[in-house]
Amino acid sequence: MTAIKVENLHKTFRIPHEKRTTIFETLTGFFKPPTYETFYALKNINFTVEEGEALGIIGENGSGKSTLLKIIANILRPSAGSVTALKKLTPFLELGVGFQSDLTAAENIKIYGTIMGMQKREINDKLDDIIEFAGLEKFKDTKLKNFSSGMQVRLAFSTAIQTDPEILLMDEVLAVGDMEFQQKCLDVLSQYRKDGVTIVFVSHDLGAVRRFCDRTLLLHKGEQVVLGDTGDVIDRYVYGGGEEAPNSSENQNESEVAETEAKSEDKSPRWGDKTIEITNVEFYDKFGNKGTRFNSFDPMTVRIFYNAHKKISDPVFGIAFYSENGENLFGTNTELKNASIDSLEGKGHVDLMIERIPMITGRFLLTVAVHTHDQKPYDWHDKQYSFDVIPTCRDIGLFDVPCNWKI
Amino acid sequence: MIVNHLKELYDYRNLIWQLAWSEFKLRYKNSILGYFWSLLEPLLMLLVLYMVFSNLMRIQVEYYQLFLFIGIILWGFMSKATTIGMFSIVGKPGMVKKIYFPREIFVISSCITALLMSVFESLVFIMFMIYFRVPISINLAYAPLILLFLFIISLGLALALCALNVFYRDVQFIWQVFLQIGFYITPILYTIDIFPKNLQRFALLSPIARIITSARDTIIYSSPAKTEDLLFMFLSSIVFLLVGYIIFSKLEPRFAEEI
Repeated sequence: MTAIKVENLHKTFRIPHEKRTTIFETLTGFFKPPTYETFYALKNINFTVEEGEALGIIGENGSGKSTLLKIIANILRPSAGSVTALKKLTPFLELGVGFQSDLTAAENIKIYGTIMGMQKREINDKLDDIIEFAGLEKFKDTKLKNFSSGMQVRLAFSTAIQTDPEILLMDEVLAVGDMEFQQKCLDVLSQYRKDGVTIVFVSHDLGAVRRFCDRTLLLHKGEQVVLGDTGDVIDRYVYGGGEEAPNSSENQNESEVAETEAKSEDKSPRWGDKTIEITNVEFYDKFGNKGTRFNSFDPMTVRIFYNAHKKISDPVFGIAFYSENGENLFGTNTELKNASIDSLEGKGHVDLMIERIPMITGRFLLTVAVHTHDQKPYDWHDKQYSFDVIPTCRDIGLFDVPCNWKI
Repeated sequence: MIVNHLKELYDYRNLIWQLAWSEFKLRYKNSILGYFWSLLEPLLMLLVLYMVFSNLMRIQVEYYQLFLFIGIILWGFMSKATTIGMFSIVGKPGMVKKIYFPREIFVISSCITALLMSVFESLVFIMFMIYFRVPISINLAYAPLILLFLFIISLGLALALCALNVFYRDVQFIWQVFLQIGFYITPILYTIDIFPKNLQRFALLSPIARIITSARDTIIYSSPAKTEDLLFMFLSSIVFLLVGYIIFSKLEPRFAEEI
């Protein structure tokens, strides 16, 4: 059975150049019609969410994710098209909506619980549980303004999870709070999942989306790029979907920025006599597309283009990975890997095949070099290239250590 | 459609009450002294106006202190309901932008907050009634009906004002001026008889004027409300509510964007 149906949904915002907020301004400006900038926030969105399904919505900032969620929640209204929700919606767009700092914790629970659709008796029954879960037993009658922000979030969260939603709309709630809190959120989410609650989940945390969502919708600048199986859609998002490559240009800019930064840090990031010149370095993802964003644990190819101005015998190509802080993480070269090159002349390229990117998340810098057998550089590009790794697991740290628990 | 809508609102009765009650508590800072201070304002006003009008202006009305008090309470209710109601949407951007429930709930609960505040004053009024040994009659039965009309009219006004206030922020100032003028052209301080005949008809176009006079007649003077007045109040409460509601629902879809 369908729980949410979105058909031909369009949303435009009219942003006036000069906003009129009073009757006076409207009257005096009567003969000068206001001019607008029209912003197309969503264009022709179509999808359905089945009952018990979890749908993820991903996309860059400004791609319309939150607008879409607000339209589903009926907070904003579509400019064209329709949204039908066939069950009761519970939006978690923000925790602690309607909290009043001058009221006590218990009073706020009553208000917030009612806003979230709980019945009076239900709230009274669960009041003590809520306060206990939030770990605030001693502060039941303390005014909210005397709470730390962490306590407020805990209070809001433990109230919110007492609701019994049919359709849950969740927007980046996980983004706030520490690791422990995020873990709690994820636990609750998986409990809801088990209970068969329909979930629409907007997040930047691709790991969480991958874990919870059956299907995912990718938005780009208000357009529906792709809707399908979560794994495929995340690949599409991370690798930018072939020739269209909506993200690659942006990321190249970013990596250029990173390069210039690296340059400014180090006065001479490139040295060597350039008898062999490294002309370019490119990264390729598992589909063979060029890019600078990769899922962790996916294969990747680093291609080094060179131009040997004369015949050189026995050159050695090397690379080294650095963390963003400049720590050397790994380095290798053709000699160490027993891939010796007899001689080179003219243009060409060498590939470094990485079967499985072991990094979990972050930006990594790459040094590429070609030098003689005895370390005399022909061309050395120090930390001149960078790529980003997007997490696909929930482990933390820079690197994955292959391991298992035995209990 | 109307029935469905009312049913929906009825389902939200808990929320309406919670919002109204918390707003009420917030206004009085949750303290006994707070309630006391809130009573002080109308009582002081009553005292000043009573001294000025009964001694200096020599108005000869039976039970003038009650006559005046009832006018202040009823006008005060309308003024509070519209003023609190007017800010019920613009004053809660967090809720309007982050959650949905029928937006009327904000306005309805503001009117209930105003009602709670007026109930307090009414308790003092009842004490006055007892103190001055005012006889009561069966005609008192009209009073709840009259007060219901006042509530509906105030709600209609609040609906229109709060919606307009989202788009035109000077509505709040304009309305304050209206309230000031209204206070003097409504027979609150004096009987309607002091106006010349043709002005009387004009003053009686305001349903509030009729509500206040009828309320006095039935509560203090033990006389029945005039059928003509009741009819007028009934029709105008329907018109006010309808017009207010239409304005509100026309503007409501863009609240979250404009706020």
